[in-house]
Amino acid sequence: MIDAIQSLIVVAILASTLISGSLLAPYVVRVLTGTPTRLDRLLDPLESAVYRLIGADPKMTMGWREYLFAVILLNVAQMAIAFAILVGQGVLPLNPMGFPGLSWDLAFNTVVSFGTNTNLQHYAGETALSYFSQMTAIQFLQFTSAATGVCVMAAMVRGLRPGSSHLGNFYVDFVRVLTRILLPLCAVAALVLVALGVPQTVGGYVTVKTVEGATQRLLIGPVASLVSIMQIGTNGGGYFGANSAYPFQNPTPVTDVLEIYLMLLIPTTLIFAFGELIGRKKETRPILIGSYGLLAVDLAVAFLGSIPAVGPGIETRFGGFFSTFWTVITTASTTGSLNASLTGINPLGILSAYMGMLVQATPGGIGVGVMYMLMYVVITVFVVGLMTGRTPEYLGAKITARDVKLVMVAFLVHPIAILVPTLAAFATKAVDAIPGFSSLPTSVAFTQVLYEFTSSAANNGSDFLGAAANTPFFNFATAAVMFVGRFVPIAILLALAGSMIGRKRVAEQSLRTDGAAFSFVLIGSILLLVVLTFLPFLILGPLLAYFQGLVNFVG
Amino acid sequence: MARHVPGLDRVLGRARVSRRPSALTAKTLTESVVRLSPASLLSNPVMLIVELAFFVVAAMAAFPHAFVPFANPGDRGFYVEVAAILLVTVWFSTLSDSLAEQQAKNTANALKQLETEVPAKKVVTEGWEREIVRTRSTMLRKGDLILLEKGDVVPVDAEVLEGIAMVDESLVTGESAPVRKAPGDSLIGGSKVASDTMTARVAVNPGESYLDQMVRLVESSKRPKTPNEVAITMVIFGLSAVFTIIVASILGLSVALGLSLDLSVLIALYVCLLPTTIGALLPAIGLSGISRLYERKVVAKSGKAIETAGDTDAILLDKTGTITVGNRQAVEMMPLGARTEKEVGEAAFLSSWFDDTPEGRSVIRLAHEKGFVPRELNALSLSEVYDFSAQTRTSGVKLHFGSSFVLPKGSVQRIRRKFFLEDPSEQGMHLSGEETEIVKGAPDSFLRSGFIVPKGFQELVDTVASEGDTPMAVAKDHEVIGLVRLKDVLKPGTREKIEAVKAMGIRPVMITGDQPLTARSIASEVGIEEFVAKVKPEDKYSIVLKEQSQNHVVAMIGDGTNDAPALAAADVGLAMNSGTEAAKEAANMVDLESNPAKIIDVVLLGKQLLMTRGAVTAFSISNDVAKYFAILPVMFATAFPALRSLNILGLGLQTAVLSALIFNAIVIPLLIPLAMRGVTFKPSSTMSLFLRNVLIYGVGGVVVPFVGIKLIDMLLGVL
Repeated sequence: MIDAIQSLIVVAILASTLISGSLLAPYVVRVLTGTPTRLDRLLDPLESAVYRLIGADPKMTMGWREYLFAVILLNVAQMAIAFAILVGQGVLPLNPMGFPGLSWDLAFNTVVSFGTNTNLQHYAGETALSYFSQMTAIQFLQFTSAATGVCVMAAMVRGLRPGSSHLGNFYVDFVRVLTRILLPLCAVAALVLVALGVPQTVGGYVTVKTVEGATQRLLIGPVASLVSIMQIGTNGGGYFGANSAYPFQNPTPVTDVLEIYLMLLIPTTLIFAFGELIGRKKETRPILIGSYGLLAVDLAVAFLGSIPAVGPGIETRFGGFFSTFWTVITTASTTGSLNASLTGINPLGILSAYMGMLVQATPGGIGVGVMYMLMYVVITVFVVGLMTGRTPEYLGAKITARDVKLVMVAFLVHPIAILVPTLAAFATKAVDAIPGFSSLPTSVAFTQVLYEFTSSAANNGSDFLGAAANTPFFNFATAAVMFVGRFVPIAILLALAGSMIGRKRVAEQSLRTDGAAFSFVLIGSILLLVVLTFLPFLILGPLLAYFQGLVNFVG
Repeated sequence: MARHVPGLDRVLGRARVSRRPSALTAKTLTESVVRLSPASLLSNPVMLIVELAFFVVAAMAAFPHAFVPFANPGDRGFYVEVAAILLVTVWFSTLSDSLAEQQAKNTANALKQLETEVPAKKVVTEGWEREIVRTRSTMLRKGDLILLEKGDVVPVDAEVLEGIAMVDESLVTGESAPVRKAPGDSLIGGSKVASDTMTARVAVNPGESYLDQMVRLVESSKRPKTPNEVAITMVIFGLSAVFTIIVASILGLSVALGLSLDLSVLIALYVCLLPTTIGALLPAIGLSGISRLYERKVVAKSGKAIETAGDTDAILLDKTGTITVGNRQAVEMMPLGARTEKEVGEAAFLSSWFDDTPEGRSVIRLAHEKGFVPRELNALSLSEVYDFSAQTRTSGVKLHFGSSFVLPKGSVQRIRRKFFLEDPSEQGMHLSGEETEIVKGAPDSFLRSGFIVPKGFQELVDTVASEGDTPMAVAKDHEVIGLVRLKDVLKPGTREKIEAVKAMGIRPVMITGDQPLTARSIASEVGIEEFVAKVKPEDKYSIVLKEQSQNHVVAMIGDGTNDAPALAAADVGLAMNSGTEAAKEAANMVDLESNPAKIIDVVLLGKQLLMTRGAVTAFSISNDVAKYFAILPVMFATAFPALRSLNILGLGLQTAVLSALIFNAIVIPLLIPLAMRGVTFKPSSTMSLFLRNVLIYGVGGVVVPFVGIKLIDMLLGVL
């Protein structure tokens, strides 16, 4: 349990993300709707140059197939570039440590991981990646995958919007999100982080003599710029293997709080932007109450267990409370960065982390969080809406059998992507390749492997295994899961949005989705769906650990 | 706002066709057993899976050794029990299906009986020869000519070509008075010719009439799924897929992790999780929805039409027949000049004595109630009757006093005939002696020469009209002495229905040919805010289109050929069976009783159908939580004793699985009555219906199985 001051900290941080989200939303709406802003004089020529360069016609509008094609084309192309950089980093510049190129299965895993906004890392950055790789391959994909998330959400919302005629233009969305939202925000955040003590240099690692006379190698590099997009873009892949538990990535409790705040900032902003983008401001309400209500449930579950100030895997700078808090937020926003080892978190904290990744919408990853919440809204509206005696409708559009089919398939992706490879990992004995794994109790071992694929499928990226999972099986299996977990739901939800284009809207008198009543039913139905789908596996993992009296997963 | 809204049962009233005899017969039972064959379960995959599960567990019971390590040969008795419950679960499903189908067929057949094979007289034309061939109704084809004589039963739906006759439709519509049929009118198969002779053209081929369409709609296997059912089926498929993946993964993990699982327990979990409740009851719910319409003698041409009825948010209501009974009633005697109310009342009484229309009868009733029965009553027998004539637009009597009490020759004949023929050329008989002439009619018909109109006449006429009523003037010996106020009479129960409809967020719009002044007054009396006055039948089409352009789902009624385009355009078109073929063709529902007010019942029944589906779906899904908590702790208990803490219900290790399975099975027959009669609800706003149903079927669906499983477990413990 946590005390009053700690509760206050939680409330204060969540309140500040809510306030900044609501303040930032109008600007984001202007960017996504192409409303003129004062930045136009500066950025318009730049953006026009980009459009000319890539041969895109910014006035063209796309249907869902074209939009999806553009999304996948661009993302795969970017992953290919990053792959070349990672494999060839040994001969590329800015490699003062002389790191060799990555093995191609690890490079493949890494580019899919970063290209899907997952950032699962089967390597430790400080001993594997050159400055050039960190700044281009890694950071590049962190920006593009985050921008893609915002774009697909904007496209989906354009389709759902009453009177919609198209999903927009992916290239325009992509460029504008980068130039007008992510780059400016990250520049500011990076500077603040530098001011708070996070290094930003390409000067190479420094060897110093400590006061005790010993020598120490300071593993510094362009960290601040990476951390800013890692958190703001809900990426989560750190500069260092230990992620934000490492002092140079997260030196003080102040940076810790700031980094927690940054994870929630854009997902929350997009929730506020949703209502305005859809043309009905109140429709933000169920998304907001749903995601923050479930986040509150997650936090309550996590803080129910014993939270020791110190323990194995816990950084003494942050203690059990901040570590657990971070773990909940990093999974709820599917960011995946960590400020402690997951092995140090108590079973209920891990249970809560699972819930964040299984729901994927509390508030979820940048852009996609809102999309998943809309998926739940459609399922809920359909099942409970029938009970009002009318064919259920959302935003005035009748929910057809095809919509239900699409949503059910989207919902199916998650359990398949998680359970099939988890089973395969045990059945093929692939887990035995992990050092020390066979000696772990079943509850701990199962929790760790299930987590690996849950994190991959949810495009979260936090994991227990880390570089220990750098085996061909885990590299390929998780890469496949990450890709499917990212692009299949996006494709299906864009198809759903596309089918709403030009659909007849009824004069709304049916179930109101913009009120508190629906919002709470939404929370209940999400909990029901997720619990029904994953309870047996949570019982074999974190719940079993809890009932066995374990306090962490050190094993 | 706090206006009382009656419950659905009161609004809808009693069903018109009894669903007795009870559907639970030996035939139904046999049918339900026959349907257990896997081939006939193909249309219900969830139940097919349950049956396959039964086969697996039955095999475990028969050959437990073959299933080691997933089975314990010592638990044979348990496997037998599980297998038995699984089979019963499937049987409950086929039983509900058979019951609903039987019930629907019973009601459909009750209506269908109206159309049994009857003799027919076919007219065969060869050159100038016309021959009458005696044949059977089933032999007739569309376009054939038939001869109908007094006493004949109309063999199939047809359209009158020649002749005018009275037809008794009471068997079909319940309306007792014979109806006059003239060329162009449509005849309903099963009605009886009460007088005269006519020829008609057969309008349908046998097997194409609405009744046949109706019977086809209740054949469970042939009935196409409605859009809504398809969507729910998607949810059922999706959830089944999820649970299949889950159970397969648990099975795989139990091997990989070396957990000792009993296959029968895993199968029990699988079956419990599958949406068996909604899977079992979905067909029954749809069929019963159709039955409930049939019980009210409304025939839907498709299941989709019933669903669309539930989506309706604007109903166009014809004033006459829907809101008002169609006849005006006298409510007040209004003297003019120096005349008294009594004088006007007595004059009105006399002038209406031979007027057998409902309006005329109402004048007599009013006068009688007020004690204005005239002394001249006896003289009426010697009176000369002026039938209503289109030229004068008046009717009345001429009384003769002081003569004998001989009934004037031909008067009885004329009184009867005036209902059939309105021949203004017929003149009354003139008798000598003291005479008084009393005439009543539309006020402006007295403005012609020959009548003395007192001062204030026009003002009084305008006042009555502006109050929504119709003035009728009464003149005695060519002097207008007063007015009778005729009021439109509201249909009993209409107000409640309108109230219910409005409570559910549906906009009633009244359509009438009346003047706006009258229309407003009547609309406000039944609580309708919107009305369209001075409507000609052909205007209805544009009204429907206008509503639809504002994104409303529109329901309307109609009976004339003029109404056909509007009926076809409306989302829900309810045609009157007494209406023309064109109207019935264009509509997607036909009311056999030709009661326009049924449109409201149809909408409410559509809502009830959708609500029932949603309720059972929500209940079925939320049930799963408790079943997890019943089975999972037991399932993993051997491998991980620590998980016994999850057994929050404190179920017996031996009985927990059986309890969950029994609950899962027994909930199906327990919900059959709900599925067949539909969710009861009180018409109210969407949001309050939503909250109420979410509480009952959603939250209730989570709580009820916890209690139910615990009770069954305690019972099993005692046994």
